[in-house]
Amino acid sequence: MAEVLIESSRLTRRFGGLVAVDAIDFAVNAGTIHGLIGPNGAGKTTLLNLIAAFYSPSEGTLRFRGEDITRHGPARRARAGIRRTFQNLKLFAEMTALQNASLGLHASNAAGVFDAIAGTPRHRREERAIADAAYDSLAFVGLGPYSDVVAGTLAYGHRRLLEIARAIVARPALLLLDEPAAGLNATEAADLSGLIRRIQAQGTTVVLVEHHMDVVMSVCDTITVLNYGRKLAEGTPSAIQENPEVIEAYLGHGQKPPPQEAHAVS
Amino acid sequence: MSAAPALSPRWSGQSRVAAFVFIAALLLFPVFITDQFTLHMMSLVAINAMVALGLQLLFGFSGQLSIGQAAFYGIGAYTSGLLTTKLGVPFPAAFLASAVVASAASLLMVPITRLSGIYLAVSTIGFSILVHLVLKNEEWLTGGTFGLIGIPRVSLFGYTLRNPVYSYFLCVGSALAVYAALVRLERSRFGRAINAIRQNEDAARSNGVAVTFLKSQCFMIAAFVAGLAGSLYAHQVRYLAPDDFTFWKSIEFLFMVVIGGVGSLFGAVLGAAFVVLLPEWLREIGDYRMLVFGALIVIVMLFGEAGLAGFLRTISRRFGRAFGRHAAGMRPPAATPGPSPSKQDSNG
Repeated sequence: MAEVLIESSRLTRRFGGLVAVDAIDFAVNAGTIHGLIGPNGAGKTTLLNLIAAFYSPSEGTLRFRGEDITRHGPARRARAGIRRTFQNLKLFAEMTALQNASLGLHASNAAGVFDAIAGTPRHRREERAIADAAYDSLAFVGLGPYSDVVAGTLAYGHRRLLEIARAIVARPALLLLDEPAAGLNATEAADLSGLIRRIQAQGTTVVLVEHHMDVVMSVCDTITVLNYGRKLAEGTPSAIQENPEVIEAYLGHGQKPPPQEAHAVS
Repeated sequence: MSAAPALSPRWSGQSRVAAFVFIAALLLFPVFITDQFTLHMMSLVAINAMVALGLQLLFGFSGQLSIGQAAFYGIGAYTSGLLTTKLGVPFPAAFLASAVVASAASLLMVPITRLSGIYLAVSTIGFSILVHLVLKNEEWLTGGTFGLIGIPRVSLFGYTLRNPVYSYFLCVGSALAVYAALVRLERSRFGRAINAIRQNEDAARSNGVAVTFLKSQCFMIAAFVAGLAGSLYAHQVRYLAPDDFTFWKSIEFLFMVVIGGVGSLFGAVLGAAFVVLLPEWLREIGDYRMLVFGALIVIVMLFGEAGLAGFLRTISRRFGRAFGRHAAGMRPPAATPGPSPSKQDSNG
């Protein structure tokens, strides 16, 4: 049996009268790529935000590697190995790509104010290691040549990749990807699928919220379908594609999913 | 083209030379200018620059707008003044104690680091007003509105610095040390993290940055430096009055940072020189000087958000382009932000 990495129990989040996530029991097996799909407003991103502690649950618990982390804040969860990207990119726009990626290693290092001022050996050793690891992460996502480019001036697709580089640089146990393919063209989306698999191969478990069905169906080991904040179905991509409830509720009128997102943001 | 990746831009040859020339000019200044009042003013510039440098870290780097730095400056000044006059503590100990007391006082700011933008700013104004009132009303301790008089000159190793040249070197040396320390901080893990907090707090948090802790550290560092500056001020003017540390003084520090250029350490120094020296130069025009001073602030701001530092950068870039063309091949690829050739990438 596969080990469960993260597990929610009756996880609920209400916004006023709206129940965005409604008593969801959800488990992700270590080493897998787990897709979260559903129509707009189904609660996918809310669930992701609950796992990343950007929202606190109204009810229910979250366990990570068996430990109850329901009350841990986002920084603490990040340090424990839960990293994320954002649907609307959140980069450090004035920093270079390399500096952005280096922030992902902030929590794995220790040199502080005194080390920096005194220029201690620890500071120098860490700076070197941070630069190397950050560069490796950029190269891993294909941004090696852009390490000195200021993030705010990168092309949109590259900014998406940079966010992923920053999120994986510390080799997290769990990576939460919030619509990483949004605004990418077909080629870029196909590259993204390859990247997500390579991230999995490094030993990182991935939870993927995505509208782009090509990406979801091609990379996910398991898919959870949400609708109105509840779990509608769960299974392998092929099982999900054939599930009549899913087709009815999510895909609508017995049609195949649209091949890809129509909109492109520049 | 791609060398080993660098987290901080390497010092260019030009900036090394500029730094060397700047420091040499500061050291040689008293050799050529022996006028006591000018040296005194330069010392005040250095003292104010220290506070402005601390505020640059706090506001320019970590993004926390404080309009209360005069409070820490005042706490430092009074700590040093009281310790030396009432308890006979030697200057070096009082100097350090001022910084420690000021940064301890900044711990009161920890709860408000959760606030942001204008809410944080208003709270710091409140703190500044509060400290001013304490200095004014706790007469048993501070002397109240009569002020604290008879503060001794700085004496180091049993030698009293009577000559203003020595206090000039003390103040300028302290400011340079603070400057160097903050430059190193800026180019470190800590510096990147606080800049990250300013640019996107959510993203910083999602990367495991302890945001509140680092923000509090910034307050402490800024207060520590302001405390050091306060101590130097106390022994420079040797008389402290509560009205030196009103909320207006806090605004002056903010002026220094903004006029100099938000985010630039050197800008904070330029800003301090501007705010301290200009009203003195304008003294000849009497009552109109604050009017002209105010107008000049508006004009500098019209030049752009980069302030004096940005203005200087533009000039030196033009200068470099005109005179440094032959050296262009030697220069490493620019690491400075600018128009980048990344737009041609495939993008849907």
